[in-house]
Amino acid sequence: MRKFVLALLCLGLLALICAPAVAANLTTSLKPGTAEIKSASSLAFGPDGVLFVADHKEASVFALDTGDTKAGKPAADVQGINEKIAAFLGTAADQILINDMAVNPASKKVYFSVSRGKGPDAAVVILRVDGAGKIEELSLAGIKHSKASLPNAPADVKNSRGQSPRQEAITDMAYIDGRVIVAGLSNEEFASNLRVIPFPFQAVDKGTAIEIFHGAHGRFETNAPVRTFVAYSINNQPHVLAAYTCTPLVKFPLTDLKPGKKVMGTTIAELGNRNRPLDMITYKKDGVNYFLLNNSSRGVMKLNAEKLDKYEGITKQTDVTGVPYETIASMKGVEHLDKIDNERGLMLVRGEGGSLNLQQFVLP
Amino acid sequence: MVLRLWASACLPMLLAGASIQLEKDAARRDVFSLRGVAVSPSYADFQVRVHTSGEVPALAGTYETSGDVLYFRPRFPLQPGLSYRASYQPPAGAPVEALFTIPKISLTPSARVTGINPTKSVLPANLLKLYLHFSAPMSRGEAWRRIHLVDDAGKEVSLPFLEIEEELWDREGRRLTVLFDPGRIKRGLVPHNEAGPALIPGRHYEIVVDAAWPDASGTPMMSEHRKKFLVADADRTPPRIEEWRVDAPAAGGRAPLQLGFPESLDAALLQRLISVVDPSGAVVGGDAAVAKEETQWLFTPDQPWKAGSYKLRIGMTIEDLAGNRIDRAFDVDTFERVEMRLTVKTKDLPFTIAH
Repeated sequence: MRKFVLALLCLGLLALICAPAVAANLTTSLKPGTAEIKSASSLAFGPDGVLFVADHKEASVFALDTGDTKAGKPAADVQGINEKIAAFLGTAADQILINDMAVNPASKKVYFSVSRGKGPDAAVVILRVDGAGKIEELSLAGIKHSKASLPNAPADVKNSRGQSPRQEAITDMAYIDGRVIVAGLSNEEFASNLRVIPFPFQAVDKGTAIEIFHGAHGRFETNAPVRTFVAYSINNQPHVLAAYTCTPLVKFPLTDLKPGKKVMGTTIAELGNRNRPLDMITYKKDGVNYFLLNNSSRGVMKLNAEKLDKYEGITKQTDVTGVPYETIASMKGVEHLDKIDNERGLMLVRGEGGSLNLQQFVLP
Repeated sequence: MVLRLWASACLPMLLAGASIQLEKDAARRDVFSLRGVAVSPSYADFQVRVHTSGEVPALAGTYETSGDVLYFRPRFPLQPGLSYRASYQPPAGAPVEALFTIPKISLTPSARVTGINPTKSVLPANLLKLYLHFSAPMSRGEAWRRIHLVDDAGKEVSLPFLEIEEELWDREGRRLTVLFDPGRIKRGLVPHNEAGPALIPGRHYEIVVDAAWPDASGTPMMSEHRKKFLVADADRTPPRIEEWRVDAPAAGGRAPLQLGFPESLDAALLQRLISVVDPSGAVVGGDAAVAKEETQWLFTPDQPWKAGSYKLRIGMTIEDLAGNRIDRAFDVDTFERVEMRLTVKTKDLPFTIAH
């Protein structure tokens, strides 16, 4: 999905460009060796070609130096990318799973996390597609990398027989201003697990859970898991906008995401039910800031992101309300999307016969 | 074998009788060989592709040489049932091609559903979770079209589950956690009001798991699996530790400690979140089991019980079948701001082992 998101709204433009002065180059903390990734799900890019890979089996996040920092043509349209990736890996399309997709903001190439095989021992492959549609594997051997374990990792919590059937699905991840934010959903407790890991990785903090009020629920709800989220700036203050499983959109200040600190989110929109949000990007067009939210059953929604600070939180039962949005009729069957630049995006679309097509699109 | 890399820039030259074969190397891995070419060909001239009607990229892999033979070793094992087209394009003339078909392996179905938690046959209308247990590792990417909820009129309930793409498997791929769509469970939700709850009290339902669900090897299961249940009223009462009953065995033996609950609780959380602490404060080693339709937790120690004061250490995130946590209901307003912690809070329940 995402995203070193230059979500530059309102007055935050210059501030955010200058802000991430974490290190001269984010790759300096990474050491060469084999990145022992056991499962690859969510992907997210930081600057300097650093790719973050969530490994739910190891309850870890890997930072990889892709070395892919030379600006180039954005990934080309590729029909049947799933069939081509499968063939590249010597197998058939029904034997692979494309888990996530992220555009490298430095090179504009698109990266995929792919499982070759569908069982628990499936091989992990990170692939990239360039402007000519060529598929390459990012070798994990000898790559500069570092690894952070998630706090309270499921692997650390064993039952009386020393087993750990508890696992966590990483549903989204983003690099925002020196921090990797990871949203997860446990396969045992129904709980919101949103964690913040400073990068370069040092010690993992204790994680921060978000308490929100869901407008559609008519009550406080701390348990609901975040499905996807994006960073943006309101009045020069970095915020996170999170979409939950039954599509309330909730904002909270990034500065509040500190270990042990209680965070109160503000529900700023309810986008309807029987629907799961999948991906979210931000962009600016004709001087106006927008979000693009991809959903499982309600298509791709374009939301006006201006004056988000002016919206009162939704505090009573509601249907569809809050931030105004429109549904983009031309974008159907979108399984993943990411941003190339402020004019273009890239989407993975399910076509006829089950093929997945990689397509550039003009941001609406 | 002694291997050396061919310089990829070398100019190719074809000898009569160039041939391509599929062989096994010393480690029994598939390797394609090219023989009969006098001068090292460019790697780009010798490629292997999956044989298909569409245009596909060449297989990922590495090139090696041994003597005057050029080898291409695919990055991954070849897939039974697929055909591969290996081709060498000489500098002039027609390409040399060979087609190899990897025999399909027909495996006898052996995987099956071994059980579903909760095991009870009467379940609350606001049931939150199912655990599906399989006898073998299963394929991902299948769950949402293989699991069905069918009502007593034989009609499939539409979208009863939270269909997350990631699928909540355990590490071995043998236990899948299925969440009912919380939007249809909680009171006051728009989805709840619009779509209605998935489960209606007084009616019978069946969970149906398709036999066509492939296991990790791609082989379907032996048979479908069905679990019938009757729906009772919604449970909005949180479990209370004060209502739990401890039956402590006598010292000197290894009889199980029994902890009983007035209602069924979440089987996985019971397994993980209860431990026994001895008089010195150390955790007692042993085996925990869940019994009697998840209304009982049994603990058999590795060593015989000694007399003294023990504690059961209970994680407060244990849930009942409707997701109500100890002292906290799933969808009851909590207007105080509860700090959710990723570390599990616990409560101790004392008991005594007597002589």
